[in-house]
Amino acid sequence: MDYRDTPEEAGFRADLRQWLADHIPAGWDKIEDEQEAVALRKGWHRTLYQAGYVGLSWPVEYGGRGLSPVYDAILNEESGNLNAPPLPSVGYIGRAIFTYASEEQKQRFLPPLLSGDTQWCQGFSEPEAGSDLASLRTSARLDGDHYVVNGQKMWTSGGQYADWCLLLARTDPDVPKHKGISAFLVSVKEPGVTVRPIVIASGEAETAEVFWDDVRIPVHQRLGAPGEGWRIAMTTVSYERGPADIGFIAAYRRTLRKVEHLAAERGLLEQPEWRKKLARAYVQGEVLRLNCMEQLSSRVSGRPPGPEGSVAKLLWADAEQSLQHLAMDILGADELTGSAEGWLSSYFTSRPVSVYGGSAQIQKNIIARMLDLPR
Amino acid sequence: MLTLLTDEQQMLKEVAGEIAGSAGLANPSDLTSRNWAATWQSLAQSGLLALRTRDEDGSPVGSGVEVAVVAEAMGAGLVPVPYLGSAILATELLCLAGADDDAARLAEGTARAGVLLNRDLSGLARFPADGMVYGWDVDGAEEALALTDSPEGPRVVRVSLADGFVPAVSADLTRRLLRSDGPIDPARLTTVGRPLTPEDLLRWEALALAAVCADVVGVMRSALAKAIAYAKERVQYGVLIGSFQAIQHMCAEAYVAAEAAASATSYAAWAVDALDPADALLAGWTAKAQCAAVARDVTETVMQVFGGIGQTYEHIAHVHTRRALMDSLVFGDENALLLRIADVRLTGE
Repeated sequence: MDYRDTPEEAGFRADLRQWLADHIPAGWDKIEDEQEAVALRKGWHRTLYQAGYVGLSWPVEYGGRGLSPVYDAILNEESGNLNAPPLPSVGYIGRAIFTYASEEQKQRFLPPLLSGDTQWCQGFSEPEAGSDLASLRTSARLDGDHYVVNGQKMWTSGGQYADWCLLLARTDPDVPKHKGISAFLVSVKEPGVTVRPIVIASGEAETAEVFWDDVRIPVHQRLGAPGEGWRIAMTTVSYERGPADIGFIAAYRRTLRKVEHLAAERGLLEQPEWRKKLARAYVQGEVLRLNCMEQLSSRVSGRPPGPEGSVAKLLWADAEQSLQHLAMDILGADELTGSAEGWLSSYFTSRPVSVYGGSAQIQKNIIARMLDLPR
Repeated sequence: MLTLLTDEQQMLKEVAGEIAGSAGLANPSDLTSRNWAATWQSLAQSGLLALRTRDEDGSPVGSGVEVAVVAEAMGAGLVPVPYLGSAILATELLCLAGADDDAARLAEGTARAGVLLNRDLSGLARFPADGMVYGWDVDGAEEALALTDSPEGPRVVRVSLADGFVPAVSADLTRRLLRSDGPIDPARLTTVGRPLTPEDLLRWEALALAAVCADVVGVMRSALAKAIAYAKERVQYGVLIGSFQAIQHMCAEAYVAAEAAASATSYAAWAVDALDPADALLAGWTAKAQCAAVARDVTETVMQVFGGIGQTYEHIAHVHTRRALMDSLVFGDENALLLRIADVRLTGE
């Protein structure tokens, strides 16, 4: 047991830190124009790719570096610490493709995914299929050598900036709901696809809804076998968690420092009650970090990601939301009168953390399953 | 970075788990009806009492990680022997003072010692400042250790428990607690070994925190396992109560809380011997603040899942709660430790 970097990990971290210091675009987080922000994120993806920092834990044969997920965690941690632009989230789409795709599909889709030439989104949830994802109703009807897709997807994060989508649709309505779903790799530039941003309570267009009207997908763009969609989706979401969590933790620690600063400015550090609240926020962040490190170790040692990811998700949502409560309590009127810019938006941005990627209640159901409690 | 137990540590966990499992309390009446001296002997024979004695190089035989592995097993079994008091806390003090022969006697199981804690149980008693003191986890111990100030720095002192102490009514039924019946007469203190360095004291405190955290993690995990097992067999309204989402979510929340405390504890245990003393101590405060924040809730949830039967004296549930309450308090409760963390974090820079 050792919580420290190995010499190899330490060397990688030191090089990365230097590289980030040299390459992070100055003032990137002050950009207001949306198109400019999108261009910056794409550019950052390419810059990272050229330096070999995309797909660290992917197999070498698919353009990765074949490193352990610990290196992904280091990348996430250092990016968070140094306030770099968001990392491209290619991991889960890549995992789905190199686990389930045909050789031809791999050759076609993986290189541009890695390089950032194509941006991807995930078309899973629907208006009537949120927590109960398997009840999704978007249909893909076979018509010769094409599928014809009709339906509506919700919470398609990045949908408005994406070129391609990993889409789940029902190909067989006559079998039990988990067995009638297939996965597709489909361009969102096809005729019949309409993307509309969804503005969340913070006022930001954080996600999107996507409408599919008679969209034709060639059969060879189906991923895996017909009916294999549910299994692919579960693999994908289980890899959504993990190393990336470490990046959120780095961001959490930076926010905590800001909150401590706010408390200091307002003269609250003399009062034990505020000191305890700030220390409690530190403890929550540490607990989350250490829990994620254990899960990462468990993955590195060869155990596939399992339902224990639900524990980290619940800890993360609680930490994030508690920290925003603390900021709100410290700021008082300033947060609600526009005098403390950004904090009210951050508060509302923290609310969906206990909803997306499986709501807190669903996570508890998953834990109950894991504890083998009766259905 | 790899935070998992090594194969050797995994084996130690199995050995400790077997001893604690066969010696563990099934119900409160076991406290008086069983032969706990035999348990102490099997711990001694397995070498588990010797983890903090020093090898030829002067290093502890077992690191904080090994200590936590065994302490968690003892907590899980609610084993009413002074593992923390004698084998960890007193032994470590003796070794830091260079009294290796005395430590060896404790490791053999032929003698036992406890520790004296201050009035609010927040730390080791320190003379002459501390008047009234408690002997904590002193079952079968003839003496207890504390600190006294001297011109050369703090020194370990031993105090006989034979007179001047009366039994205290401890919330925790599994650890013997004595209270001094008045201020300790300086003439009763016997100095042990060499003076301690400031670093010795920080490391000792980090070890104490990690060990007591591991104990309460064991208490929580085993309590929750019993409640979950009960939810799988108790039938009401014609169905297993564990099928109710209300029960499932209570158990899931308690599980998350206990696992979070366990994650923080593992790190604190590793930090004891691996990090600078100040960092090890911060890790210990963090773990203890987390454990103390959740231990009462987790064990209360367990009593709630057991319903009416879980409120009775004959049932094991309150024994978990009692040990959890005391573990949460000794060496600093949540409030006290949050303030210490704040002192490190909020330096105004």
